[in-house]
Amino acid sequence: MPRPTSNRLIRAAVAVGAVTALTAALAGCATDVTRPRVEASVGPVFTNLYVQQQALLGRPGLTPAAVAAKPDCHRSTPGSHDRGAGSDWICQVGWTDAAGRAQNGKFELQVRSNGCYQAGGPTKIVGPVMIQTSTGKNVINPVFEFDGCFDTT
Amino acid sequence: MTTPATTATAPVPPATACPRPVGRGRVVTAYRWEITKLAAQARTRATLAVCLVAPFVFVVLLDRQDRLPKDTLYGRWVHASGFATPLLVLGFAAQWVFPLLTSLVAGDIFASEDQHGTWKTILTRSHSRTQIFWAKALAAATFAVLLLAVLALSCLAAGVLLVGHQPLESLSGTLLPSGRTAGLVLAAWASTLPPLLGFTALGIMLSVLTRSSPAGIVGPIILGLLMQLYAFLNGADTIRHLLLVTPFDAWHGLLAAHPYYGPLRDGTLVSVGYILICLAIAYTALRRRDITGG
Repeated sequence: MPRPTSNRLIRAAVAVGAVTALTAALAGCATDVTRPRVEASVGPVFTNLYVQQQALLGRPGLTPAAVAAKPDCHRSTPGSHDRGAGSDWICQVGWTDAAGRAQNGKFELQVRSNGCYQAGGPTKIVGPVMIQTSTGKNVINPVFEFDGCFDTT
Repeated sequence: MTTPATTATAPVPPATACPRPVGRGRVVTAYRWEITKLAAQARTRATLAVCLVAPFVFVVLLDRQDRLPKDTLYGRWVHASGFATPLLVLGFAAQWVFPLLTSLVAGDIFASEDQHGTWKTILTRSHSRTQIFWAKALAAATFAVLLLAVLALSCLAAGVLLVGHQPLESLSGTLLPSGRTAGLVLAAWASTLPPLLGFTALGIMLSVLTRSSPAGIVGPIILGLLMQLYAFLNGADTIRHLLLVTPFDAWHGLLAAHPYYGPLRDGTLVSVGYILICLAIAYTALRRRDITGG
């Protein structure tokens, strides 16, 4: 009786899978992408990259602690409760520049469900896609657009 | 064994003539045959050759164009550091390349015996179905490990030789020193081994159940793409954690300034689950199958 047994096994596997899926679906409108996680990631990532950009532009010595970017992130879609993956995340980031002035910029984020995102900043404040270093080389502006990931577990 | 004073420290059994290989020994013999068969196949060799050469072609082509593949992680840094190349390819490969490469062998290794009608031949050679099963499963896994290693080293070599070993951006906005980066890149590639073996097991299962090579090869790719689609459409995250494509992203944690290993741990557990379930189904189906008919 080879066939019925293997069929039974497949059916059992499908049943187990279905039950697991159902439990999971019932258990969770839980999402990995939440506002605290996004903010906790965008702040330090932008800070570090901004320090790099300033060093490229010939202003070394700026420390992440001095920049201390503070993002305030929301999803622009109504009813999304600032959670879940999407390309409608907006972060208003405030930080201190090399001259000690307060800066503020709006960053648009595309957050994927795996916890990685791509952020794009305002050209007027963070500069164009390519910048010229103090030594005259053309390099990618690290803060024009940047990627980051956060732990989703 | 009559001189205890001198041989007391070496309690070697007196029988010097090894018994005929049974059980595990037979699996090893069968495994060697499976490897020999794989090595003789043009498809296997061609796949490994492509894995070896393709990264270099990829880097040369990328070098010639200004547009950067920014949609994939590390795409924007491919011209800035050679270490970005293997990570960019890793992001691509997870989408459908890994399932394709491993199922080229895993999806065919059982079904080819059906196609050639050779089940009776190999089973009459004093090897049990269990031994043949493990030999074939191990051979498919060996191929998966081998192609992952070849592709990883080839991508790393292509990036470092053709672009350079400049410091790489971490995923936290800090620069990684080039000394540590090569190790991290290889660790990132190694972290995709569990889900890759999961797809190998999936291919083996489909190969045994459908008895058809095309189904065994295409099945894992389609399942992989469906899982990608689910993740892309932002389905419930609880289910996404149970998909076999999710662990392919676990390496992101390794490239952070403060590495996190949660996704790697969960991903490995999920992959092991897939491997166990698929192999159990395949094993049971093969054991209970009526092969006397040919």
